[in-house]
Amino acid sequence: MKRRDFIKAAIAAGVTITFPGSTGIILSPLEAAEKVDLAVSHGVSPAGITKAAIDALGGIKRFISRGDVVVVKPNIGWDRMPEYAATTNPEVVSTVIRLCYEAGAKQVKVFDRSVVDPRRCYKQSGISDAASAVGGVVSFVDDRKFREVKLPGVALKSWPLYSEAMEADKVINLPIAKTHGLSILTLGMKNWMGIMGGSRGRIHQKMDGSLVDVAMFMKPSLVVLDAVRILTANGPQGGSLSDVKQLNTVIAGTDQVAVDAYGATLFGLKGADLGYVVAGHKAGLGTMDLAKLKIKRVNI
Amino acid sequence: MTKKIRIATQGLFLLLFLWLFLQTESKGANDLGYPVKIFLDADPLIFITTMLSSREWYQTFYLAILVIVATVFLGRVFCGWVCPLGTLNNMVGSIKKGRPKKATVDWYRFKYYLLIFLLVSSLFSLQLVGIADPISLLIRSFSLAVYPFVSYATSATFDAFYNAHIPFLVNISEFTYSILKKIFLPFQQPFYLQSAFVGFLFLLILGMNLVERRFWCKYLCPLGGLLGILSRYAFLKRSVSEDCNDCGACAQACQGGAAPDGNDKWKNTECLYCMDCDDRCPRNAVHFGFREKQPVAGMDLGKRRVVGSILTGLIAVPLMRITPIAKAGVADPRLIRPPGSLEEKEFLRKCVKCGECMKVCITNGLQPTLFEAGIEGIWSPVLVPRIGYCEYRCTLCGQVCPTGAIKKLELPEKNKVKIGLAMIDKGRCLPHAHATPCIVCEEVCPTPKKAIWFEQVGVKNREGKERILKLPKVDLELCIGCGLCEAKCPVLGQPAIYVTSVGESRSRDNQLLLP
Repeated sequence: MKRRDFIKAAIAAGVTITFPGSTGIILSPLEAAEKVDLAVSHGVSPAGITKAAIDALGGIKRFISRGDVVVVKPNIGWDRMPEYAATTNPEVVSTVIRLCYEAGAKQVKVFDRSVVDPRRCYKQSGISDAASAVGGVVSFVDDRKFREVKLPGVALKSWPLYSEAMEADKVINLPIAKTHGLSILTLGMKNWMGIMGGSRGRIHQKMDGSLVDVAMFMKPSLVVLDAVRILTANGPQGGSLSDVKQLNTVIAGTDQVAVDAYGATLFGLKGADLGYVVAGHKAGLGTMDLAKLKIKRVNI
Repeated sequence: MTKKIRIATQGLFLLLFLWLFLQTESKGANDLGYPVKIFLDADPLIFITTMLSSREWYQTFYLAILVIVATVFLGRVFCGWVCPLGTLNNMVGSIKKGRPKKATVDWYRFKYYLLIFLLVSSLFSLQLVGIADPISLLIRSFSLAVYPFVSYATSATFDAFYNAHIPFLVNISEFTYSILKKIFLPFQQPFYLQSAFVGFLFLLILGMNLVERRFWCKYLCPLGGLLGILSRYAFLKRSVSEDCNDCGACAQACQGGAAPDGNDKWKNTECLYCMDCDDRCPRNAVHFGFREKQPVAGMDLGKRRVVGSILTGLIAVPLMRITPIAKAGVADPRLIRPPGSLEEKEFLRKCVKCGECMKVCITNGLQPTLFEAGIEGIWSPVLVPRIGYCEYRCTLCGQVCPTGAIKKLELPEKNKVKIGLAMIDKGRCLPHAHATPCIVCEEVCPTPKKAIWFEQVGVKNREGKERILKLPKVDLELCIGCGLCEAKCPVLGQPAIYVTSVGESRSRDNQLLLP
């Protein structure tokens, strides 16, 4: 990632130096359109609202370029079927993959370090089948591919992260909104635990800072929060349909703190109620102040 | 010609065995899609002893009866043409050069004594057959030793390439590795207690072929003994015509200890019906057919030895049971049986230690016991949560159990079965003992309403600062003892939450709460 980004930045810089004002010309159509920070779409079709939310942000091409290797990181943490809202909605996952390919992505990879047996999680969540059907390259996490990296150090100085996630050109975070015993809710930032290696259970001791560290390091191009169904109790694993609430909602954005702050409102909470949202806000990862954001709502 | 057909048949059955063995692994769905235990279903020794020890009609008996009928008509064709362990013995034996004309030992009766011992002890409810039954033994050895070994050796080799960072070579090796993973490597490296022990015994059995080919089959195999008795009056018989000139080629070729040359009468119970003698005879004097009338050797086991075997079988029953293990609360608290296991006494009457459940266990948590369940329970399955927990929505162990020692459960039923209870060690738990936040046990608890809940308390740290802590507590009514909390507890070594068998649904006495 680093080298590729550097080369791109260098070329961009070169272009800017050679043709002053050229990036301005390239970017102008985007800037001309109203800048949306968060898109919230609502409707019965998970695929439809996923696309609508991304379109509201300016379309997938704003995030994915031709030839990109993209990692889509859903939550495949548990051996639960989609209707139990413990794992990301498979239709949301497949829609994002399809859009990436439409934008010219070279390859879209899908994986998660499941908490329980990955074979069952991948299969029972419906994500493996749904992602494969649209050409997503679904793989189980390979223990050899974790690499120790330096983190900002809010709580963690370094941690082994999954190299395929770090080496991709673009990363899209695809969490689902659920309750959680310690962090109250698990939304986008907590979804990064799925690329953490080692004994990640230990991060619960300094949960908020750890999540901010990994989120700052990963810098996803896009976060799509699945709230088609949310899990309102006994999360993050659930298991009872009576704890599931159908919201038919998808939230998309690029600001990780803002997405999670908005996610909190789905449960009747505020971003300020969640330690990692506050910590992310303070660390400059993003803003939890929803009033200051341009939020576009779409109903389809 | 017959030999080629026989070898091809053996090869096919061995491949079928190995293929079904490889299929005894989850792919994410809750069924395997293949009848992975048919070799055990076809084993008449397991069939008969399980019926004797459990005094119950056995569910899947068609194949075993088929083998019995086939043996009564055709002799020990199972040994010569089907048995995968026999085939492996053949293969190892073929390494041995220079065969002695005479058998090195004359112990062929031993397998009958072993058989009698097993039959008698099973009649008195002690089921030890799994230790020596060839199919049980083979699946157990493959599951616990051979396959983990192959997997480890292969992965270690490819890991070495991977870590060498030679760009081009890594591409080739990783490509090869990915193909091997698809063909025969396990999803994850299996680890078992006693791998080396079980593997050593298996090597010993294979190695005995170098002393004498098919040593196991001739002298030790109790299933061979059972089929030998059943083949006593088999219709398919062997005859030697007058063209025989006592050249001894048949005796050299004989895979069993059937004395096919003219010196003694043909021991039909020792014949594996490989028909190599027919194949090898230079004068074409040997014939197998249904109308042969030549006399066969009787089966002389010796009255005293038979009585001795019976007595040994009788003595073994109380001898192995005079241990306090059966008393509730005395048994090893970590003897956590798989979900659906029968009550311990019933369980031991049915478990044949084949290792199918351990092979299929999705988390590798099912491990072989040594003496935790007494000597009679050796190599029976125990859940060791630190190695692997019981997956909440998985029922595979009950699906592959050949005898019903582990009942086949439907999912809703399985979700209610308690295999034990979790308890918190407050002296080690991070929030309880060290005022450090940790919620892992609660997070992973798989019951729909979590069996682990929090008591929120304010505690003071060393500096006197107040901190709000969530202290995990176990709801004993809801806990099913799956051990996921223990498996994931970040307090390594001795975990801060652990499961013991108390509260297991299958036991009336091993209980903690009032019903």
